[in-house]
Amino acid sequence: MNLTAGFQIIVNGMATGGVYAIFALGYTLVFSILGIINFAHSAVFTLGAYFTYALLGSQFGFNGLLARGRLPFGLSFPLALLGGAILAGLVAVMVERLAFRPLRKRGADPLLMLVSSLGVAVAIVNIIQYLFGAEPYTFPNILGGLPGSVNLGTPGTPLVARTVQLLIAGVSLVILALLTVYINYTNTGKALRAVAEDATTASLLGINTDRLVLLTFFLSGFIGGIAGTLVGLSVGITGPYFGIAFGLKGLSVIILGGLGSIPGAVLGGIVIGIGENLVPAEHVGYKDAVAFALLFIVLLVRPQGLLGRTQIQKV
Amino acid sequence: MAALLEIHDLAVYYGAIQALKAVTITVEPGEIVTLIGSNGAGKTTSLRCISRLINPRAGDIIYDGVSLLRRRPDEVVRQGIAHVPEGRRILSRLSVQDNLRLGAYSRHDRAAVRGDLDEQYVRFPILAQRRSQLAGTLSGGEQQMLAIARALMSRPRLLLLDEPSLGLAPIIVRDIFRIIRTLNAEGVTVLLVEQNAQLALQTAHRGYVLETGEVIFAGAAAQLIDDERVKKAYLG
Repeated sequence: MNLTAGFQIIVNGMATGGVYAIFALGYTLVFSILGIINFAHSAVFTLGAYFTYALLGSQFGFNGLLARGRLPFGLSFPLALLGGAILAGLVAVMVERLAFRPLRKRGADPLLMLVSSLGVAVAIVNIIQYLFGAEPYTFPNILGGLPGSVNLGTPGTPLVARTVQLLIAGVSLVILALLTVYINYTNTGKALRAVAEDATTASLLGINTDRLVLLTFFLSGFIGGIAGTLVGLSVGITGPYFGIAFGLKGLSVIILGGLGSIPGAVLGGIVIGIGENLVPAEHVGYKDAVAFALLFIVLLVRPQGLLGRTQIQKV
Repeated sequence: MAALLEIHDLAVYYGAIQALKAVTITVEPGEIVTLIGSNGAGKTTSLRCISRLINPRAGDIIYDGVSLLRRRPDEVVRQGIAHVPEGRRILSRLSVQDNLRLGAYSRHDRAAVRGDLDEQYVRFPILAQRRSQLAGTLSGGEQQMLAIARALMSRPRLLLLDEPSLGLAPIIVRDIFRIIRTLNAEGVTVLLVEQNAQLALQTAHRGYVLETGEVIFAGAAAQLIDDERVKKAYLG
């Protein structure tokens, strides 16, 4: 293996892993507050990709309700990414209001919320198919005048990386950093952690827990939407079911890292991302096998995941 | 003088079980009022109704002339009521300082919040030493102090204290009750739930004795402490 190949494994691993990490954090945020896996997250991820695609002003496919249509305007990529993320966040907020809150208010079993989130996922996927059709979408070239790949080494010892991969890794790292700062150092972030640890006590401190649950869903949808766009940039939107396979990967990331742990989701994402990119190109079909084998091995040794707490304690 | 808190005919059910039956309690401004009684008498349930963690089936809770029943728990805090729950419920994964800051979550006067933070560190010097430690690493007594200090960060007019002596060494309990008296002398009205009836009645101005969801005796603390029936049932 030469230097460039090794470098590319790292860049691609960081790009894949970073996206896994921010996607998985969407699960983690909701899980740490409500103690449930939000299965609609993978559908929101898919929506994020379609929203950004639309906001770029690109033309829709040929067999949905919106066939051959396009928005009357096109945004630059950073704005479209942001807009897609905000719209995805608002959809996640709607998911909370429709699928979670009514059950929460009745003190329903968390398992019921899991089922209702699965129902929402199916509904969203079908709405996407109805509107945008079942065909794959390819993002337009968003790099503008930038070259498709850059050499970060010297002409003698080249370290070449695809610009898109660098962009994906960069955006993921920025999102991870912002989220970490937000959760650890702002008042609202601390309040979120208080609600995650003990919602009743948080409410006795004057924290409006319902509002923070909505905020959690918004954040979860926002970063899920960004992850959707980034994966769409890398491999294209494969269709309305785009998020389902990715959703499974996201679940293995949070279980590998430790359920409910934010650093765990990040570490899990990067481990699986780099692990997958170690698979040689000629055996690319085994990528997923590597991810799930990693999960299997870690769970044998550490059932609570890499950074998970031994036990979830609620006094 | 108008009462700060009036609880009228409060009835609470847990499923089919009635936890409170027409409980009526008043708290005047500046008082320490205690609710005593054995386990399951409805003391904690009464406090949880006031801070809106549970919905009563009947009755009303009037605070400062206005019913609390339509408010959420976080709005009750904004009205000036702070609840130190049973078992302290400190946020174990946050630092001592973050626990205190969250106690002031409903406030927006940042400079005054900083001043109050320093004030808590003066009142509870041990918390100043532990300010950057995770709250979960504190001892039981330190956690109780943190829970009280955190409640004070919202600048309450009425402090609800649920079993502040629970599981603590006698010397720590003495400290905590001294602090409760000091706070009261500084103008905070206190509604105190306690299993340790002796200590509670020595500290409070008035008391209510609850038994299976009903008030069976009420009166000045000094009278209750000498009442033969109360003595026999609760003071050993």
